[in-house]
Amino acid sequence: MPPIPFTVIGGFLGAGKTTLLNRWLAAAAALPQAPRIAVLVNDFGAINIDAALVTQAGSDAIALSNGCVCCAIGDDLSAALAQVLLAQPPFDAVVVEASGVSDPWRIAQYALADPRLHLQAVLLLVDAAALAAHLADPLLTDSLTRPLAHADLVVFNHADRASTADLATAHAWVQADAARRGRSAPPCLETWHADLPLALLADRLHTPHGGGLATRPADHGAQFQAWQQQPAGVYDEAALRTWLRALPPAVLRLKGWLPIADGRWLALQWAGRHASVKRLASAPAAGAALVAIGLAGHLPVAALAAGLAGCLQQNGGKQH
Amino acid sequence: MPTTVYTARRIITMNPAQPDATHVAVRDGRILAVGDAERMAAWGPHALDTRFADKVLLPGFVEGHCHLKEGGMWDMPYLGWFDRRDPQGRVWPGLSSMQAVVERLSAIDAQMQAAGQPAGAPLVAWGFDPIYFGGERMTVQHLDRVGDGQRPIVVAHSNGHLLNANSAMLAIAGVDADTDVEGVVKFAQGPLHGQPTGELQEPAAMSLVFRHVGNAGLLAPLDDAGLQAFGAICRLQGVTTATDLVNRLGERELAVLRRCTGDDGFPVRIVPAFQAFHGTQGAAAGAEHVRSLLPTSTDRLRFGLVKMMLDGSIQGFSARLRWPGYLNGAPNGIWVTAPGQYEADFETYHRAGLTIHTHTNGDEASLAAIDAVERVLARAPRPDHRHTLQHGQMIDRPMFDRMAQLGLCANLFANHLWYWGDQHHDMTMGPDRAHRLDDCRAALSAGVRLAIHSDAPVTPLAPLFGAWCAANRVTPSGRVLGAAQRLRVDEALHAITLGPAWTLKLDHEIGSVEVGKRADFAVLEDDPLQVDPMALKDVRVWGTVLSGRVFPAG
Repeated sequence: MPPIPFTVIGGFLGAGKTTLLNRWLAAAAALPQAPRIAVLVNDFGAINIDAALVTQAGSDAIALSNGCVCCAIGDDLSAALAQVLLAQPPFDAVVVEASGVSDPWRIAQYALADPRLHLQAVLLLVDAAALAAHLADPLLTDSLTRPLAHADLVVFNHADRASTADLATAHAWVQADAARRGRSAPPCLETWHADLPLALLADRLHTPHGGGLATRPADHGAQFQAWQQQPAGVYDEAALRTWLRALPPAVLRLKGWLPIADGRWLALQWAGRHASVKRLASAPAAGAALVAIGLAGHLPVAALAAGLAGCLQQNGGKQH
Repeated sequence: MPTTVYTARRIITMNPAQPDATHVAVRDGRILAVGDAERMAAWGPHALDTRFADKVLLPGFVEGHCHLKEGGMWDMPYLGWFDRRDPQGRVWPGLSSMQAVVERLSAIDAQMQAAGQPAGAPLVAWGFDPIYFGGERMTVQHLDRVGDGQRPIVVAHSNGHLLNANSAMLAIAGVDADTDVEGVVKFAQGPLHGQPTGELQEPAAMSLVFRHVGNAGLLAPLDDAGLQAFGAICRLQGVTTATDLVNRLGERELAVLRRCTGDDGFPVRIVPAFQAFHGTQGAAAGAEHVRSLLPTSTDRLRFGLVKMMLDGSIQGFSARLRWPGYLNGAPNGIWVTAPGQYEADFETYHRAGLTIHTHTNGDEASLAAIDAVERVLARAPRPDHRHTLQHGQMIDRPMFDRMAQLGLCANLFANHLWYWGDQHHDMTMGPDRAHRLDDCRAALSAGVRLAIHSDAPVTPLAPLFGAWCAANRVTPSGRVLGAAQRLRVDEALHAITLGPAWTLKLDHEIGSVEVGKRADFAVLEDDPLQVDPMALKDVRVWGTVLSGRVFPAG
């Protein structure tokens, strides 16, 4: 059973999380072959689903005719997730809305802890028009800033309402936090009405045995760009680990599997600003594959290619 | 109408107009008369019941902040640092070394084997708290010494946020050196460098184990047996009214509550507080739900209380503190509810006429609540709301003064003075703030209505122990935290009777022995006003009377 891609949406009240989820549920309803999404939310009442789509509405779950479901988290995310994971056939993607002041990275741990899930991304929505005022509240400054450490993508929403100065403040805030932690800043994107593509939630490259690369990258819209590789050669494990931990800035997400010495394979993943490298139990069906996603025009394709090439094993596995 | 007159060695009424009595007349479950034999005669013939003739009666104790789960923990063995009494009245001695913990687990493992339980049946225990072990952490090196190491073992920490597992449990859960989840603690050095220690922190890491242990023990929802065990503990401790200070009040919870409290043999009045945070519904729907339950209240089941939550815990470093923050430099804690959301939701419940009890541990959280309530009351004045700050452990005099102005009550966590007083002094907040920890004196001086509580099962349900904490303010190391802040014993008794009754808006019915109130008594063997204040916790409880029904402790 391939693991289900798991996305966490963080962001303070008013940042547009519910708008985004409503948008995605509507988009999934409109597409003929859209993914079946399970959406887990805090406030059930705010989700706005076209009544014509609802096939069953309970006190803590709403089922839609397109196969999607929207569930209330309540006070126990474990229990809500357990329910979602029981579904047959399995969902194509799981999205969890973090509550306004919680750290989405803590929720991402559930995906790292459960082999049935695969951490796809941690998205952080920010109300660009209100950020300066929120940061000025001493009760909130630290709570707002903490999630930046593990955000794959920071979305400055309500950019239409924000002034140039607001947006400058927002970008400077992300840069300053990254500098303070000595890390590269996550990609930042300005949006209106939380306009993000559904393709962020799932791509076909989340399982080594699920068929490899699509002939055409998933439609990430005009905002995103994918870099896909089916590289030849054998790689050095230590070099891959080092490379992954110091990926060039502006990479939103990276994943793939590559062969190392002695016929073994590694699964690589960069999500939540967090690198993970794991041994695969068997060779992937479709061979080596790697995909990186970044903002359109900002993905450092040349640096990625050079970095990957630098991880090739030079002398048949006899170094060390 | 039959009337029963109880005689007692002494009745401490908590009614300032008539503090002492020797006789109390009961009719229809209510108090008909209080005083001496002569006063009883005014109501005509009565049956004289002398079973309490050598006992001391107080109003039944009111526990204003506990959880019914106190009754549901005892299916599992207890591993805490302090002695603790179970619903059968048996005292589990506290365990003050890792070796003692291992020995108790080994004994239970042997019992499980003798009872024919398969080797793979998990052993789940609770109540462990590493904060008392001076920096030493429990690891697989301790737990693997239990039995032959084959039985999966889970040791839940008393704070609910951590657990320890042995190697057998880790193997079942698939937790190893490669497990890449925050909260899976690994050995930083030594021969096991990089291997998991078995300590799993916070829900995601803990879910690795819970997924395999199932819904047993810690996560099990409260059932009838657990609620009956809770009732048994109340009888042992003289409690006749107890809150359940977070309850979803869904169909399942309501069914258990109604079934148990519907039985005349159930010994305690339950006041559940609706969980108005982490909710599955918005505040408007939540308020409507609680209002819809109001007409279904009975004598033993009272709806109308709402629980909100702002921050975490001080000893878990998740409470929100003002300057100068944590003594050890830990970053400030977390908001469970954002202050702005709290204010908006509070206003909704407030406008619905409900009484809101808010969890605020750190002083920044208490201040945020006071600020929010002040604004809400300016927009929507409401007389006699009885809104209450719960825990309020770091509230200082200026904040208590504001609370008095706003009519906010305080239910302070006096048991912390004993259970974590030394840790607060040495690790979390430092000596200055520890000396005004749970400052009952400042609350009373400011004119704030005061209650004290146990937060059971966080600390044991035992109001006299809480009163002892507030009256003595001593710690296990022998410190007195703020000698000038100690309550007199009569003040401390008020804080476990009329004080909490006020915060529950039940002071017209319970909390003192007065004509017209419910015939609720704590029946004691010793006179708490005659013993040395340091012996207050050792005052023996015979049992209780609830609405005229007698419930011996045993």
